[in-house]
Parts: sequence; C-alpha cells; structure tokens
Amino acid sequence: MTTTRTAPALETAKRVAAQVTDPEMPMLTLADLGVLRDVAVEDDAVTVTITPTYSGCPAMATMRDDLVHRLLDHGFDDVRVRVALTPAWSSDWISERGRQALRDHGLSAPGPAPAAGGPVPLTLRPTRRDLACPRCGSSATAVTSEFGPTACKAMYRCEDCLEPFEHVKEI
Amino acid sequence: MTAQTQETRPGDEGPDERPDEAALLAAFDATIARHDRIEPRDWMPEKYRSTLVRQIAQHAHSEIIGMQPEGNWITRAPSLRRKAILLAKVQDEAGHGLYLYSACETLGVSRQELTLKLIEGRQKYSSIFNYPTLSYADVGTIGWLVDGAAICNQVPLCRTSYGPYGRAMIRVCKEESFHQRQGFELLSTMMRGTEAQRAMVQESVDRFWWPALMMFGPPDDDSPNTEQSMAWGIKRDTNDELRQKFVDMSVPQAAALGVTLPDAGLVWNAERGHHDFTQPDWEEFYAVVKGSGPCNAQRIAHRRRAHEDGAWVRDAATAFARTQQETAS
Amino acid sequence: MTDHDNAYEGLLGGDDSQWAFGTDFEDPLAGVDTTIADGVDPAGLAAYCLMLGDDALVYSHRLSQWASNAPDLEDDIALANIALDLLGQARLLLARAAAADPTVVPVLPEGSPVPAEDALAFFRDEAGFRNVRLVEPEDADFGVTVARLLLFSTYRLALLERLRSSNDTVLAAIATKGVKEVAYHRDYAARWFLTLAQGTDESRRRLLAGLAVVWPLRAELFETHPVEATAAEEAFGVDPAVVADEVDLLLEQVLSVSGVERPDVRPTGPLGRGAGRDGRHTEAMGRMLAEMQVVARAHPQGRW
Repeated sequence: MTTTRTAPALETAKRVAAQVTDPEMPMLTLADLGVLRDVAVEDDAVTVTITPTYSGCPAMATMRDDLVHRLLDHGFDDVRVRVALTPAWSSDWISERGRQALRDHGLSAPGPAPAAGGPVPLTLRPTRRDLACPRCGSSATAVTSEFGPTACKAMYRCEDCLEPFEHVKEI
Repeated sequence: MTAQTQETRPGDEGPDERPDEAALLAAFDATIARHDRIEPRDWMPEKYRSTLVRQIAQHAHSEIIGMQPEGNWITRAPSLRRKAILLAKVQDEAGHGLYLYSACETLGVSRQELTLKLIEGRQKYSSIFNYPTLSYADVGTIGWLVDGAAICNQVPLCRTSYGPYGRAMIRVCKEESFHQRQGFELLSTMMRGTEAQRAMVQESVDRFWWPALMMFGPPDDDSPNTEQSMAWGIKRDTNDELRQKFVDMSVPQAAALGVTLPDAGLVWNAERGHHDFTQPDWEEFYAVVKGSGPCNAQRIAHRRRAHEDGAWVRDAATAFARTQQETAS
Repeated sequence: MTDHDNAYEGLLGGDDSQWAFGTDFEDPLAGVDTTIADGVDPAGLAAYCLMLGDDALVYSHRLSQWASNAPDLEDDIALANIALDLLGQARLLLARAAAADPTVVPVLPEGSPVPAEDALAFFRDEAGFRNVRLVEPEDADFGVTVARLLLFSTYRLALLERLRSSNDTVLAAIATKGVKEVAYHRDYAARWFLTLAQGTDESRRRLLAGLAVVWPLRAELFETHPVEATAAEEAFGVDPAVVADEVDLLLEQVLSVSGVERPDVRPTGPLGRGAGRDGRHTEAMGRMLAEMQVVARAHPQGRW
C-alpha cells in the first residue's frame, strides 16, 4: 500500500459514500443526515462507519446495502460497513446543507437537541417548538401529532396557508 | 356540512366582497392550464372540490384499511428484522392516512366526518384490501405487486393540480417505493430459502396477481370519471395505460425472482412494444366493489370497532383540552 | 419534474443497486466491537442482557397489537413507534447476549440459517424467557395500556440512565440510545395519564381500573435477582432495587398532578420461589409465544 494509491482511493470512497441517500428521505444524503460517521481505506479495503438514528430504524439494513453496492460499483472489492452505537446519533448532526434540503422539500428542520447526560426530566406538556411553515414562512403553526409516519418526525399544520407539514424532531 | 360552507373557502370574507364567479373560474382554469397548483385559499369550483374530497378521502381510507391485511401478520412475523420492517410499514400507512386526511381537511372537511363516511359505507377504499392475507409471503407480495401498482397509480398524482394533495403524494410515493423494495426483498430472500418457502411465494403471487391488475380500475371504456378528472389535472393517465405500464415492469421482476405470473396469455408483443396479457375477471371486480369480496364486511367491522372503542379516549382528550384552555384564559 | 420520475425509476430498477439485495442476514450488532471488559463473567452478562432484552421484546409485541386498533391515528402511530423502539433495543440486547455467551442460543437443526437473535426470540420455550410479568398480559383497553406504559417506561428509563455508565461498552451504547427513546415513551404515557385522569368521568374510571390491574405487578420490578446482583457488582448492570425510590418519586409526581391515589391492591406474589426473571410467567405468556413463534418454528430451515 502506498499513499499515492490510497489517497485518491480514500477520496473516491468518501465521495461515493457521501452520495448515498436515506431510503425514506432521499433528499438527504447519509452524510447530510449525520449517519455517515467515517470512511477509511486500508490495503484496498474500505470501511464505512454509520450510526443508527433510532434503535428500531428499519432503514439501517437498506443503508448498509446501498453503501456496499455503491462502493462495489465504483471498483472497491472489499467493502465493510461498521455500525458505531456511540456516540448516539443526534439531530444536531444534520448538516446545514441537509437542513436546507429538508426545507426545500417542505419539511421543517430540527432545532437544537436537548442536552444529553443526567436524568431526563419528565415533561407533562407537549414539547413547544416555535416553527415557521416551510411553505409560507408563517409562525402560526400547530402540532397535529408528536409522532409522524417515521420515528424521526412530528406533524404540524400551518394556520395561515393551511399546509400540513412534517418537522424532524430534536433528539 | 351545509351547502353554504361548501361554497366558501376558508378565509373568504363573505359574499359581498366576492369577485364575479366567471372571472374566478377563468383564473382557476388558467392556473390549471399553466400546470400550476391550486392552493387551499384559492377559489375553486365546487365540483372540483367535491371530486378532490372524494378522491383524497378514498385514498386516505385505503391507507387506513390497508393496515389490516398486513397488520394481521405483525404478531407472527418469523424474524425480528421482518417484524421491525412490517411494524414500521404499517405505521407508515397510518402516517400516510394522516397526511391525506390533513390534505382533505384543507378542503374544509373534518377527519371525523370522513371516518364516519367510511364506516357507514358511504365512501370507498381500494378493493385490493378486501382480499385476505393467508401466509407470510403475502406481506412480500403486497409490497411488491400491490404497492407497485399503487405507486404506478400514485406517481402521476405527485403532479396533481391541488397543492396539498400533490405534496402529500410526493412524500407518500417516496415511502411507498421503499416499501415496495422491502417487499421484493422479502420474496427474493424466501425464494433462496426452502422448497416450502418458494411454494409459499408462488401461491401468494398466484392469488394477488389478478386483484393487483384490478387496482387500476375498470377498462377506460367503462370508467366514467376519467375524462373530467384528467381535464382538471387530478388524474393524469388512463386506467389502461397505467395497467399496461405495471404489467410491463412486473414481468422482468418476476423473472428475477423466479416466480411465474399466473397468466398463460402473457406474451411480449414486439409490434406494440408492450406485453399482451389477459384481463382480470371484471365480474369479480364489480362484485368486490359492491361489497361481496372475501373481507369487505370484516374490514369495515374492524375499523368501526376500533373507532367506537376509542371514542371515550378521544372524548377525554377533547374534554381535557377544553379545561386546559379555560384554565389558561 | 424529477419528483415525478424518481419513483418510476426505482420501480423499473433504473438504479443498479435497487434490486441488488441479498447480502443475507443483517446482524443488529454487525460491525460493533463486542469484546467483554476484564472481570466481567460472559455468562452473567448474557443472562442480564436477556432480562432487559426480553422485557423489551415481549412488551414491544404487546404494544404492536395496537396497530390498526388505536383510539386515533396519532396514537396508532405513536404506539407503533414505541413498539418499534423497544423492538430495536430487544434486537441489540439479544444479539449482545448471544455474542457474550453463545451457549444461551437454542441449538437448531444442522444448516439452519436462523440468526442468533431469532433463535432466541422464536425457539426458546416459555421457561427460557427472563422478562418481568408486567409486560406479558394483553390489555383490555387503552386505560390499562397507559397505566402499564407509564410504569414500564418509568422503570426502564431509570435503569437505562444508569446503564449509560456500564463497563460493557455495548450495553452502555444501547442504553445511551435507549434513554432518548424511552424518555419520549414516558412523556407520552404521562401525558395520557393526566389527560385520562382529568378528561371525563368515563376516562378517569377506566384509567383507575387500568392502574389497579397493573399496580400489583410493580413490586416484582424492583426485586433484586441474583443475576442483577452480579451485574451490579461487576459494574456492567444495575440492581433494580436502587432505582425503586426515584421511580416511585416520578410516579408520585404523575399521580399527584393527575389527582390520582395509589391503588389499594396487594402485590402479585411470586410463583413458588420465582417470578418472571426465573422463567415463571403468567398464563398470557404461553399464548403470546404460541402466536409469535408459530411461523418461525414451522420453518426451522427458513430464510426470511
């Protein structure tokens, strides 16, 4: 293994892995979502590290498969996908580009995640978020369901333009 | 709902300030002609509104009723991974129902009202869900064929003229194609399993192929709503065009799986550039639509029971919200 | 318009990777370092993971039965979400148990492709399950579900919060992730508890009835099993007795805000010298497993 061979290989592997998209929110790449943690190349073997958003996320297997196949398509023969459980995924890891992509597709991006560590306080009132409607920008929005179709989203409605929209939750 | 509220759009200031109807209609037609979206606060002809409500509600109901045949297997899923995938899928369907009911609400009807129409049999849902799920392979077949057919029907709706519906459909279609992929993957995994599993897959495909073809609706000659819906951009392809497209894409996928589609008349027609195929039994289709399918009564009874059993919970939430508001003010 | 065309493209397999599945089974811990810390007994670690994993697995199953049956769409979604989170935790914990001590995994016929997590879930008999009895019974209505979910999630969150500092890095990671999830579950349960308590007379009546059903099974949660004692001693697990007070305090908080008294009911006693953690369960458990395991057991050589 020489650096001259590895460096471009690493660049390619990083570029290919970064382009793989979330199976249910294809406007987001795994990199933008913060699920892609690391790409390493050693002795021509690529190791990609990803982290699950939620423990029960059924898209993990699909993401792994997509990464493997995309890298195989780009000439890497030995591709491994490692799952890192720590540190646990946080919505803070969604990149600025990812947030813009969410907004462009009519979704509301998450605010800052609650601080981790220590006992979690009980909240008896629904989480209040000051959201802007991703369609008309109005701040007159109301939550319609704290749990959306996928674990990571809550549902809202704009009181002005009436648009129903999803908000990616802070976690 | 009274005729009067149907005439007004939310936010309308009342009859005095309304511009002339003909001018409104002209503006509406121009928007449609430009392929722009109609939005909730825009004026629209009453017939357009009621057609949309019927179509979106039917679609929402289909998502909700569609949870039952697959939900039937959640507690018996044969692996934890499959259980997670199936549970997530059924949850997605509830979510799609929620998207679509929300889109309907922008047209001034409530979810409660629509639910009552469903359980009283006054609004329909996709007839495919009046067929039973009899083996775990059906979970895969529903993903592959039924979701596949649904996507064919729904993808054109992403461009439908009504904004909230079109945007809901974009999200629905993205999630549906993930479901379809997972269904195909289940079948393909089972086909690499035991002889008994392969037989289970083939039996399931044999049962679902014809009902899947029926999902596009009756042949164009017998489909009364198509023309006006197409003019309004609510519908964008005819039933027969979509059915043909579906058959053409299913053939190579069936070959990849190693299953046989149960139609001896299914052959490639080089001249047309499409597959020729046998029409499903339209007598059966009309019988199921009219209520004589294997599961019609069961599906509605299930929905009705869940709705009625949950009434006290919804009442509690309403009462609690009211007292909270009173305390706050 | 691209949104229009994309879904077709997927259908037609325009993207090469679309149908190129078949990388075989996906171990939930694939690619995770499962080395065990010095001084930790692998068998003890496995036994402890089964306890936490079975709690999540069985309760997830019960909650999943709400699918298409919940009082409203939002709750159908929420309960499925909670069931899915717990199922995810169960898979990680069962896989952790199998990796720590492969002898806990039932032996299947030669050549069976069934992975360890599934062998544990679908091929263990009732007496092999180590979950507490609280999670087993089927709920008669949403009132029971809210009461049970409040008890369970408060208990589990307290355990997971401490498990974040487990010396088993896998367990610590599972717990760190789990805390974020179960905190949502507990809030959901607590809000519904308050809502039902102060909603209507009927909802209050049903909630109190539900609380009386689940309350007797509460004591068992905090009894220290020898496996848990060892887990705490070797610093990979938590003795549930130490979280009893804080769980109680939280429950008290919810009860008092809701204006609900503690039910005056006797705790459900053990069965002889054992209870759920010893594999001694309620009658509901056998029926539940019969349903859950039926397809998997009919195809011991099956691939899913």
